[in-house]
Amino acid sequence: MIELKDVTYTYGVAENSSLKNVNLKVREGELLLVTGHSAAGKTTLALALAGILHHEIGGRIEGEILFKNRNIRDFDGMKELSRHIGMVFDDAESQLIFTSVEEEIRSGLENRGHSEKEIVRRLEEVMGSCEISHLKNRAPHTLSGGQKQKVALAATLALDTEVLILDEATAELDSKAVKRIFSILKRLKEAGKTIIIVDHNIEDFLEIGDRVVLLEKGKVKAIKSPADFSVSPPVSRPFGPEPAEKVLNKTYDKELQSELQPLRQKSQPVISVKKLTQRYGEVLALDGIDLEIYPGELVAILGENGSGKTTLVKHFNGLLRPYSGNVTIKGLENSKVPIDELVKHTGLVFQNPDNMLFEDTVEAEIAFGLNNIGVKGSEAAEAITRSLELVNLSEKQKSFPRHLSRGERQRLAVACVIAMRPELIILDEPTTGLDADESDRMMQLMRKLQQKGHTIVMVTHNLQLVKDHAERVIHMQAGKIVEDTANRECAGKEYRECIGSACV
Amino acid sequence: MKEIMQYINRDSFLHSMNPLSKIAAVAGIIVLSVFTTNSAVLALMVLGIFLASLKAGLQQELLKQFKLLVFLSLSLIMLTILTLKSGETLAYLIPPGTFTTAGIVPITTGALDFGVVLSLRFFAMLFAFQLLVVTTKPSDLMKALLAIHIPVDYVLMFVIALRFIPSLQIEGQRIHEAQLARGYKPGKGLRGKIMSVKPLLVPLVANSLGRTQVLGLTMDMRGYRSRHSVESNKLVWNKVDFAAIGCVALMGAGIMLGSFM
Repeated sequence: MIELKDVTYTYGVAENSSLKNVNLKVREGELLLVTGHSAAGKTTLALALAGILHHEIGGRIEGEILFKNRNIRDFDGMKELSRHIGMVFDDAESQLIFTSVEEEIRSGLENRGHSEKEIVRRLEEVMGSCEISHLKNRAPHTLSGGQKQKVALAATLALDTEVLILDEATAELDSKAVKRIFSILKRLKEAGKTIIIVDHNIEDFLEIGDRVVLLEKGKVKAIKSPADFSVSPPVSRPFGPEPAEKVLNKTYDKELQSELQPLRQKSQPVISVKKLTQRYGEVLALDGIDLEIYPGELVAILGENGSGKTTLVKHFNGLLRPYSGNVTIKGLENSKVPIDELVKHTGLVFQNPDNMLFEDTVEAEIAFGLNNIGVKGSEAAEAITRSLELVNLSEKQKSFPRHLSRGERQRLAVACVIAMRPELIILDEPTTGLDADESDRMMQLMRKLQQKGHTIVMVTHNLQLVKDHAERVIHMQAGKIVEDTANRECAGKEYRECIGSACV
Repeated sequence: MKEIMQYINRDSFLHSMNPLSKIAAVAGIIVLSVFTTNSAVLALMVLGIFLASLKAGLQQELLKQFKLLVFLSLSLIMLTILTLKSGETLAYLIPPGTFTTAGIVPITTGALDFGVVLSLRFFAMLFAFQLLVVTTKPSDLMKALLAIHIPVDYVLMFVIALRFIPSLQIEGQRIHEAQLARGYKPGKGLRGKIMSVKPLLVPLVANSLGRTQVLGLTMDMRGYRSRHSVESNKLVWNKVDFAAIGCVALMGAGIMLGSFM
């Protein structure tokens, strides 16, 4: 179907090639999985396969790409290629053009000049199979990340192209939705479609894959069968589709909880939440939360999208004030103390580092927060050096923040917060968009911070992360805490030592 | 969060109108409001648009913009008072006897009248445009604009700009929170205000620019640029359409006649 012959590709002004001498033959009706670390050239390969490099992006292309035995260069741009190839990208938000889900899918079909009857048929079919029928009239900005991805996927699936390329298109879906997509892809494969899935985590699709292409630094390192791939050391650790409850029951138990109780009573809690309720208009986002977090703990707050995790932690630094109930941070009442005072005690790192980076150098970026709380001059310089060392970005001090890799930007965001020396550090989904290596580095950093005496709270829906690293797990559902247990595997001696000596 | 300029999924007589006739009516209103200098006619026009929104149950949408428009009007009237002097002098901005025996900056009827005309123009244009946007599905709007041979690139630009307004609002809010978490304090005074925009604006603009490539590719992959021509029979005309166009045409005729007589 698609054949790459010795393709080497370099983006516009880049010095290094993103793809190096890639030879790859994608057979008709095949389901090909492509994986590798970040910056391995996965997305570039996907763009090459779709003909986008030739027709839209340009740059230096050596070698040739054949689509249906015809040079991809000879097609009449994406106009013609898009009739054969459908591609879903990772950024779901940018793939939604209209203001309702139905229009989004429908307009693509109208562009292709289908009859009204056919449009309605496909529309209903695809909305049904992707489980988005109930979102039909919703506007994109009211959808969650996962829902947006489902809509972007549905809009492409509706076009029913022979080739389907998914570039990290399922990253934000929960395990149930991924299973759904799995069965859709399986059916498409049986119908003879050629499917290419590009992702840093391909575990979910190994079962229906025909071959796995492992990329490294722009080269094809290996092409394996999915069976071999799962045995060999994988790029990301496999994690079975076990339901949350099962995993939690295995590793967390209440005995340990009671064992730790006496230790806790020795020290004052950093955060104390009593009967906290919060509303967004009519919606009850938090419903009678009671919670205490103690110095030196590494706590994970786990829960589905919309369960109130982020809403809860926004009370810890004063971004939200209680609707009723109260929250105290180091003895400071949330409802009385201004936010710029609270942020000295609580550092909150949001999910997307790009929402905060605005300076021209890494060092200025960190200085911004310090200046805000009145740390200046040599004291600030010292804090900058110290925090950059902690996050392993010392040599990037003068770099332009937005040119760093995603993992580096995430660590810079952490550095911006820890430079202000808050006792409590909260991280909202700290590993989203990071590959296995970068995630590991992030978690090591968190451990290191804990050892330095910080209390860490991470908000996540990643069970693996929780299982490997959290000492205490708070499970939230529909605005309530449904479970609060200790993790036997992780609640190691660091924790007890820390509490024993009250290291904060 | 207040949603501005977004399609509202409801049933009203404005919703059931043909997008083409709505575009024609709005264009008509805009042209007429520029050509007429009679504040009474303009006031009637604004009243008419408001009554239409009342009938469709969308008056809330228009009232959302009211504060902004009043602010705009007051600044415009102020500006005309400062720059335009014609007609009778009603009073002085700085009354006689404050600094000099005669007053400084006279407020003239001509200036007031012109200020009111300018303000009413904005009211009419913005209200009409807003009613068009909130009652027309973006995809229908797109079809209609393509049907009158506006190049597809411009149409997409327009539709996408509308679509991303609420997304940008949300993102702006997120950025604001992220900076607050770093102890960000909006500065005081004009200079401080301007300086404090940077931490919010830079991420917002940079993120939006970063989005353009995927957006463009998506449009290509879904075939927006190679679309089949819209069958014009898909856009249905009904009585209200003719009534609306008729109204605007009548108004136009009235204004023309009025200016010749």
